[in-house]
Amino acid sequence: MTKTSKIAVTLVLAGALVAAALLARHWVGGAPAGRAAGPSRGGELVATNRSEPTSFNRYTAVRSTDELISRLTQARLVRIDRTTDALEPRLAERWTVSDDHLTYTLFLRQGVQFSDGVPFTSADVVFSFQAAYDPSSQMAGELDVAGQPLQVTAPDDHTVVLTFPSVYAPGLRMLDGLPILPRHKLVAALREGRLGEMWGLATPPAELAGLGPFVLAEYTPGQRLVFTRNPHYWRRDAAGTPLPYLNRLVLAIVPDQNAEVLRLEAGQSDLMTSETRPEDIASFRDAAAAGRLQLVDVGVSRDTNLLWINLRPDAKLSPARRAWLQSEDFRKAISYAVDRQQFVNTVYLGAAVPIYGPVTPSFGGWYVPGLPTYPYDPARARALLAGLGLADRNGDGVLEDRRGDPVRFSILTQQGVDTRERAAAVIQNQLRKVGVAVDVVSLDQLALIQRFGTGDYEAMYFGVETTDIDPASNVAFWLSSGAFHFWNPGQPKPATDWEARIDELMRRQVTTIDLAERQQLFAEVQRIFAQHVPALYFAAPEVYVAMSPRVANATPVPARPQVLWNADVLAVKEGGAR
Amino acid sequence: MTTAHRRLIGYAVRRTAFALVLVLLVSSAALVLVDLAPGDVTAELFAAGLGPEAIARERHRLGLDRPLADQYVTWLGRAVRLDLGTSLRYQRPVRDLLGERIGNTALLGACALAVATLVGLPLGVVTGSRRGWLPRAVRAASLTALSVPPLISSLLLALLAARTGWFPVGGTGLAEAGPGALASAATVAWHLTLPTLALALPFAATIERLQSDATAAALAEPHIQAARARGVGDGRLVWRHALRPALRSVAAIYGIIIGTLFSGSFAVEIVTAWPGLGRLMYDALVSRDIYLVAGCAAAGSVFLAAGTLASDVALAALDPRLRQDAP
Repeated sequence: MTKTSKIAVTLVLAGALVAAALLARHWVGGAPAGRAAGPSRGGELVATNRSEPTSFNRYTAVRSTDELISRLTQARLVRIDRTTDALEPRLAERWTVSDDHLTYTLFLRQGVQFSDGVPFTSADVVFSFQAAYDPSSQMAGELDVAGQPLQVTAPDDHTVVLTFPSVYAPGLRMLDGLPILPRHKLVAALREGRLGEMWGLATPPAELAGLGPFVLAEYTPGQRLVFTRNPHYWRRDAAGTPLPYLNRLVLAIVPDQNAEVLRLEAGQSDLMTSETRPEDIASFRDAAAAGRLQLVDVGVSRDTNLLWINLRPDAKLSPARRAWLQSEDFRKAISYAVDRQQFVNTVYLGAAVPIYGPVTPSFGGWYVPGLPTYPYDPARARALLAGLGLADRNGDGVLEDRRGDPVRFSILTQQGVDTRERAAAVIQNQLRKVGVAVDVVSLDQLALIQRFGTGDYEAMYFGVETTDIDPASNVAFWLSSGAFHFWNPGQPKPATDWEARIDELMRRQVTTIDLAERQQLFAEVQRIFAQHVPALYFAAPEVYVAMSPRVANATPVPARPQVLWNADVLAVKEGGAR
Repeated sequence: MTTAHRRLIGYAVRRTAFALVLVLLVSSAALVLVDLAPGDVTAELFAAGLGPEAIARERHRLGLDRPLADQYVTWLGRAVRLDLGTSLRYQRPVRDLLGERIGNTALLGACALAVATLVGLPLGVVTGSRRGWLPRAVRAASLTALSVPPLISSLLLALLAARTGWFPVGGTGLAEAGPGALASAATVAWHLTLPTLALALPFAATIERLQSDATAAALAEPHIQAARARGVGDGRLVWRHALRPALRSVAAIYGIIIGTLFSGSFAVEIVTAWPGLGRLMYDALVSRDIYLVAGCAAAGSVFLAAGTLASDVALAALDPRLRQDAP
């Protein structure tokens, strides 16, 4: 061996020994676990978030990160408590409703100030509605009732009167989505038609003002957002301690979910703003057992994916294909052909429950057990397919229609979302067993939405977030004219009798005040839906939330943001230094 | 002014003009291709729950309902005045967004290039000039590094960092750094290790392979053999006589490596949360932010043009014949 080689070998061996020693120390010993103790005021938590904000103006920015920032820095008149789904007072400390249920009088908290010290009054509420209905705002649709805006007046500095154009059963629940803006900061921009340009990402944080628990102190593009305690925040805990407990909340931008998980496991962050993936649950359980993480099963998700077949009259299908692909029996055959338990085990690695409709058990009183279902029964699936004239005429294992064309269709799904891609593959595999061939096509989200918009597809497996469990808040899904009536959206008049019936029931449901009656009406809607299965549901995931042991006072919920929805009471456990 | 000087100036002018055309072509192609891709930036609003009317209003506001040619001509008119337009997603000037990230990518790229060169070159010389188990082991390691995509190497290194705590899993750390330039530099260096290694490994392997072959070929040249026959020692033969001609093959691909660093940084920047151009461009592509994509592509082509120029200069420095033959 030459001298050079000897030196190289010595260096490599020495390096390897040092590396092995360090690795052994860290892997065997594990990271030190945070010690559990009571919450205290002060400290900092770090949450990871996968995407960048697009603006600090929630009225023009509607993506999930924009909404999260708004929840941290701004307040609402009322809020839906995510644990009970009940409406709770926030800036409005109480309210009354007129006998005709058209007029709500809200009494605002007194002595409340924006983060810059300017007093909050009813003028800010009136201004916020004006801004929401401004053409530059994306909020108007959320605040319309039967296509009409609300009338808002302020008889005095601490009273606001809202007049609805027609009876709207969810009432003030719609205000959960309306952050109250500081009139003194934005009124000139609204007058000049520049509201849409305000509070962009280049705005210095000091120019922003809000009524939320935190103020934005720093935004470093691509890296992080730092929020500090709003010194004028109006909430106190039961002992009279001013909230929020935390001094600082850091939102670190980590685009890759694998890196998010690694950071959490390494103790470099305290929580993630998105739910845990099924494939991470096992390792998080181990970490929780070792005291390195908290893992909470918060229940069944309200956000489910669905498979629907394009039932639009302008779908690009030949009459022969349309006859079987758009038939109700074909959808029921799919339902019978898919083993939901296997679906749960494969797609969600067991962390889900089988479902048959859009309303999961986590919808509380709106959930109706015992609806008609079409559970796994391949023989009945084959019988239904035979009834449609579909048979394996050439013995190749794939059914053919009466013209001899194979029974084959494509399912579009979202690329990069593992659960959706796995689900489409499971459906493909299970339908093959009853002789139906499926081509799975994964597209990125925008391409998928574009195909949905143009109607250029045969079937799609996708899902969107549910904002509120009240069905009246989701009429765009239930009404045949709705944009989210996925299988045949925006119908000028109902295409089928059962859709016309659902329209009628939903319209009554939206304008009926009595809760029991509303629930009965909605149960009937679900029954009709279950009978005709316009969309197929297979599983609802169980939502797990993982946090570092430092996090105290968290009440995680299934809906996003699972932990930060209640950020003003989050705390760092004593002795929970990073 | 001498003829040589005139030639040099003419050469520089031609290269600069070529670089400008390259930047324009690449950014134009990026803009047009992304515009032609299905979906646009407003489709994200559908996922956020907005209806068709609101989306149509937004498309009109952003000018996306105008014909592509119209959009392109408007953008081109601004681009020639170095105004790259406004990002559709972030509603900020593309130039500002690029300005925030380009330094990070340049820093990551420069560090990765330095590491790749400092590791790859000496190893290539060793494996090209020696026999035995060490060159074989290095060659096997190089082939492994070449076959592992940056996405996987980033994840593996991030896993190592998470398990051991030796390095942070991501970010620049600059925002958390203590006061003082030294503290900031130390923090950034600590955070830079992981993305640099992830990005540098395949390039180090490439350089090692090229340098190894070139060294072996140089050592087989008659003048080296003659020197060996005259009794010149192995070390002197390799590092003094064979190294310089063998460097030409690596210098020739430096331009391509610098261009590829940018595309390689896509995955690395995403996994390691390094706020650079690669990540910005990925986000822009995913959200169909056409003007931002065009801006990022322009920045990437500037890297490529600069790399090619640096490569040419290095080649000319190493090979006197090229200097004499310069156009």
